[in-house]
Amino acid sequence: MPTQNLVETHNLTKQYGKIRCVNAVNMQVPPGAIYGFLGPNGAGKSTTLKMILGLARTTEGSITLFDTPVNEKNRMKLLAQTGSLIESPSYYGHLTGEENLRIIQTLKGCSEKDINEVLKIVRLNDARKKLVNHYSLGMKQRLGLAAALLGFPKLLILDEPTNGLDPAGIQEMRELICTLPSGYGITVIVSSHLLGEIDQMADHVGIIRKGELVYQNTLESLHSHSKEQIALRVSHMAIALDLLRQDGIEATQEDGYLLLPMVDDTYVANLCRLLVAQNISLYRVEKREKSLEDIFLSLTGKETSL
Amino acid sequence: MITLRMEFQKIRRKKIALTMCALLCVQFAWLLWSGSHPDENERLNGWISMLYSLPLVSVIMMPVIMSVLASRFADVEHKGNTYKLLNTLRRPGTLYHAKVICGLFFIFAISVAQFIFVIALGYARGYAGHPEWKYYAAAFVLNLSCCLSLYLLQLLLSMLFFNQMIPLVAGLGGSMLGLILMYVKMYSFLPWGGFLSAAQVSMDWNPETKVVHFFYREYSPVELCAVAMIFVWIVVFYAAGRILFGRKEV
Repeated sequence: MPTQNLVETHNLTKQYGKIRCVNAVNMQVPPGAIYGFLGPNGAGKSTTLKMILGLARTTEGSITLFDTPVNEKNRMKLLAQTGSLIESPSYYGHLTGEENLRIIQTLKGCSEKDINEVLKIVRLNDARKKLVNHYSLGMKQRLGLAAALLGFPKLLILDEPTNGLDPAGIQEMRELICTLPSGYGITVIVSSHLLGEIDQMADHVGIIRKGELVYQNTLESLHSHSKEQIALRVSHMAIALDLLRQDGIEATQEDGYLLLPMVDDTYVANLCRLLVAQNISLYRVEKREKSLEDIFLSLTGKETSL
Repeated sequence: MITLRMEFQKIRRKKIALTMCALLCVQFAWLLWSGSHPDENERLNGWISMLYSLPLVSVIMMPVIMSVLASRFADVEHKGNTYKLLNTLRRPGTLYHAKVICGLFFIFAISVAQFIFVIALGYARGYAGHPEWKYYAAAFVLNLSCCLSLYLLQLLLSMLFFNQMIPLVAGLGGSMLGLILMYVKMYSFLPWGGFLSAAQVSMDWNPETKVVHFFYREYSPVELCAVAMIFVWIVVFYAAGRILFGRKEV
């Protein structure tokens, strides 16, 4: 049955010995999306992407690419429509950037003109005749992206593409990735352990934790979880809570604060006046926002690093 | 064919041919040095004695040359982490075939160079008559086959291990083992002993007269099995390489 998604995984599982690195992941990547695959280090991002590319065998589950279930017979045909950059760039250091791309271009069977095009896109035109061993890490990473872009595939899988880049390089890479769906009609899956990075690039997000996909939706939907609240610190919590409830405000008590949903400034001013009139000392009035980081940590567990 | 063509593209500037030439030169120097001043008797037995010397040189040098060759082919992939890209473009089996065929090209060139040198050296030294072409042709085919079996073994190791010291040490170890087995005459069924099993010429030496007598071997059934083992090793190493490389996750 045709699906709406370019990539779908169904209960995708990978087990090494007794350890399940990836556990029943149901990933859904819509066409034209930049799908941010987010998770702490060791969560199973690379293994999942490797299974999609056929670089690691699945223990259980199935993968559908371009509406076609992937099997050993059609794997290469389906992968011909994809480009990938997994973990670190692949290159032949003793060859020039152009020679490297020529090998990939010939193996992919795409046009020679693509070499010039992708070199322009990744801004490596001036370094095309230079040996890759003499490239900086950022240049190698861009060469890896250029190789992945050859043939302008329908799907691009990038695993931590900004690893090892300096801040300027990271920014450049992000900008580049953001232009791919609109400029070339490429759907991108990009993994990262940095929430901020995904927040700046993706429009869809999947969060993986200890091998399990704990969240998957649009980034907009993730943002909607970040609700604003007013926090009050007062001398008599119970009386203040009663007053608020009488006023129809559903407040909660947490860590010595009263938390109430976002209300307008006039209401806050009236509330302060009311509390003072009731001889309740008002110590603090704060506006609080549950950040994306808070959401990410609540989904992935606080013990993990960002 | 495209994958094979790309295999040759990949090894540009790796100076594999130069490395092979350098190692061949060591072999040639050895052959030049042995029997450098032939007397009349040696000139008379020159062509047959060459066929005796060649497997001895090969058993020591070829395992090293094959390990270097295979290591150079695999190292270009390991150094740049290219398997994870290549395996999305071609099946591992196709990549393996390309490396085997590319290696075979070099092995063939090395064997041809070796035999051309031996024959040229024989004429230059003024050996009597001409080479016995039948035996030289058989020696060439068997030498090539032994090299191929060792190359397949080394390629398997080089592609499986990131650290190329492991296959290189295996090559050196094979060379030493071949040398040792030569003395204990247990070489027959081991891949490194194939050069000796397949030798066309044997000799006996009379301690009293100190005269060496070379003669063309007539294989016993056991010796024929030892020669057949060379081809068995080719099949075994090829199949093992194909299966293990195909199964390897990157």
